[in-house]
Amino acid sequence: MDRPKIPVNLILASLAADAEEAKHRLEKAKDVLLGPLDTDIGATPYDLVYQEDRVRLKYYRPETARLKTPLLLVHGLFNRETLLDLQPDRSIVLKLLQEGLEVYVVDWGSPTRRDQFLTLDDHINGYLDNIVDFIRHRHGVPKVSLMGVCLGGTFAVIYAALHPEKIRNLITTAAPTHFDTPKGLLHIWLKEIDVDRLVDAFGNLPGNLVNTAFLLMNPPRLFLDKYLGFLENMDSKEFVENFIRMEKWIFDSPDVPGETVRQLLKDLYQDNRLVHNQMELEGRRVDLSQITMPLLNIYGRYDHLVPPEACEVLTKSVGSRDCQDICLDTGHIGIYVSARFQKEIVPTIAAWLREREG
Amino acid sequence: MNPSHAKMHCEIFLLTTGLRTGKVLVLPGWDSEASMAQEFSRTTGSEPLLAAWIKWTMDFWDTMAQMGPGLDRVSEADGGSPPGDAWLSSLHLWQAFFSLLTEPGTVAAVFQGIRAPAEIVLRMAQAGWGGYFQLHRQWLEGWAGNGTPGETDDFAGLEREIFKICTDLYESDFRRLLNMPHLRLTGLTQERLNQATDKFNQFQAAMGEFISMLYLPVKKSLRAMTGVGGMGREENPPEDFKEYYKGWLKILEGHYMTLFQSAEYARTLVQTLTALQDFTMAKDALMAEAMEALSLPSRRDLDDLYREMYILKKSLKEISKKLDRTEPSQEPC
Repeated sequence: MDRPKIPVNLILASLAADAEEAKHRLEKAKDVLLGPLDTDIGATPYDLVYQEDRVRLKYYRPETARLKTPLLLVHGLFNRETLLDLQPDRSIVLKLLQEGLEVYVVDWGSPTRRDQFLTLDDHINGYLDNIVDFIRHRHGVPKVSLMGVCLGGTFAVIYAALHPEKIRNLITTAAPTHFDTPKGLLHIWLKEIDVDRLVDAFGNLPGNLVNTAFLLMNPPRLFLDKYLGFLENMDSKEFVENFIRMEKWIFDSPDVPGETVRQLLKDLYQDNRLVHNQMELEGRRVDLSQITMPLLNIYGRYDHLVPPEACEVLTKSVGSRDCQDICLDTGHIGIYVSARFQKEIVPTIAAWLREREG
Repeated sequence: MNPSHAKMHCEIFLLTTGLRTGKVLVLPGWDSEASMAQEFSRTTGSEPLLAAWIKWTMDFWDTMAQMGPGLDRVSEADGGSPPGDAWLSSLHLWQAFFSLLTEPGTVAAVFQGIRAPAEIVLRMAQAGWGGYFQLHRQWLEGWAGNGTPGETDDFAGLEREIFKICTDLYESDFRRLLNMPHLRLTGLTQERLNQATDKFNQFQAAMGEFISMLYLPVKKSLRAMTGVGGMGREENPPEDFKEYYKGWLKILEGHYMTLFQSAEYARTLVQTLTALQDFTMAKDALMAEAMEALSLPSRRDLDDLYREMYILKKSLKEISKKLDRTEPSQEPC
């Protein structure tokens, strides 16, 4: 019987050849790891201008405001908004400020068990609507521009459909709206979950569970390759700082209010109601044809979390005649943290908004 | 059970436990109490009792070996060991151990205070190490890609027999004990504790199966690397270890994607999650009872309170909006 073997001797020989280099790297890495490191995330200065319960609103002031309409960024509930301001040289927020936009960012905070009864309606028609009203009042404008990130984009779509009179422009990034696709692993797995049982057992959906689910989407990369990459580059201060920043963000998944999870998973991931205009919030039907404002829909071609199939249906489902899809050659996180796409996408967004400023 | 019987059972337990872990046991006092042991054996008639116990145990392991009809059939045709080899070798190990005990003189030797146990211990240790080495060899072969555990596996069928047998065994025996109805005199707490234990065991079983499934792509990818034309074959050695690693990683990712999209994975994932939920609820019920006993509010009590607060707050916000008033918290910070 043919019995092939792994050439362990060759592997060892290769490792031995690298040993000297590794030794130098380790010595340097020791200095880097034990020395001062700047690993803060969300470091761009901001003012806290509004708070309701655990939800806060951050205001980022540009040096010179070139657009009258402020931009409100809404992140999803499953991760933190700090993704948009992860590191100084790769900060979406900072780049938007440099484009002369007044930026607001919703910080959903850290839900505790007492938040478990908060519904999707409470988040969208409650917190988000109050925030939009606050900004409109503060700037004396009838409408704001709304940009949603990931599931925050889905929130933005729902909000824009229910309150079109308050939204001037809508931008969605990696925002799933069509959930009946076998391309995304989440879309496959969540179809099988007994949502009621899940929520009844945990109250809030534990952040650790969510985080584990994300990590399980690509174990070779997220459990192994990523850390081997770290070992290879840990003699670089800049690399280590950015790596730790990303680690902080990835592993900081907040718990998600149970009742919100219940409706999100049932109505969206299991029944795909949004795109069929069948979704309801406290008796109010979400009709996508009500989205008549300009819409810019950005997504990643290699996004394993929110595949293009989950995003590209949106522009065909809304009532707006001013719609644009932009599909980037990147994955889910790449849209927000890749230097290349930040250089590309932020000026595009700013230019798109300027054209519609009137 | 009288004290003599209790002592006998205790020593048998110690003996078997020590042998399982490959240790040579020193039982304090036995050497000096050899004559006492003889006396003990004679007076209690424990030799027949021990022999009966050993026979029963042998029968048990024999039955266990026959329980997995799929274990000794699969993939023997290609010369490999069947997927259940690890399981069977364990069973054979136990059988060998107990058959040794039934040999003439063995039982007597046990009751002679292990005065001359060297041969027995040596033979038992040999049997134990033999089984261990067999398991180890199969494990290594599995990693190297020519092992049998995965020869016929796919994402639908894969060595689940082991988990099924363990689960069936647990369901049919231990679980029934844990779910035995309790008399009220023993209180509800014991019942809740048993339920939590039961759910924890079920969760562990489900988790074991889930983790085992997660390991399969690793095994498959290693096999692919050492298969025909693979980068890892001796006649096709990798010139660059990094290239080898990248190639392996790519294959590994491919196998994971295949696994993750399979119905089998979704089923196992849901099963594991359900078991976790069941355990969480059982644990909460147990804790709630403990809190109640301490006159402390339980999670359920707090949840009821949170619900009332939520409803009240929501009503208040609606009224406030209707009155067109801004809440104090909406003032700039």
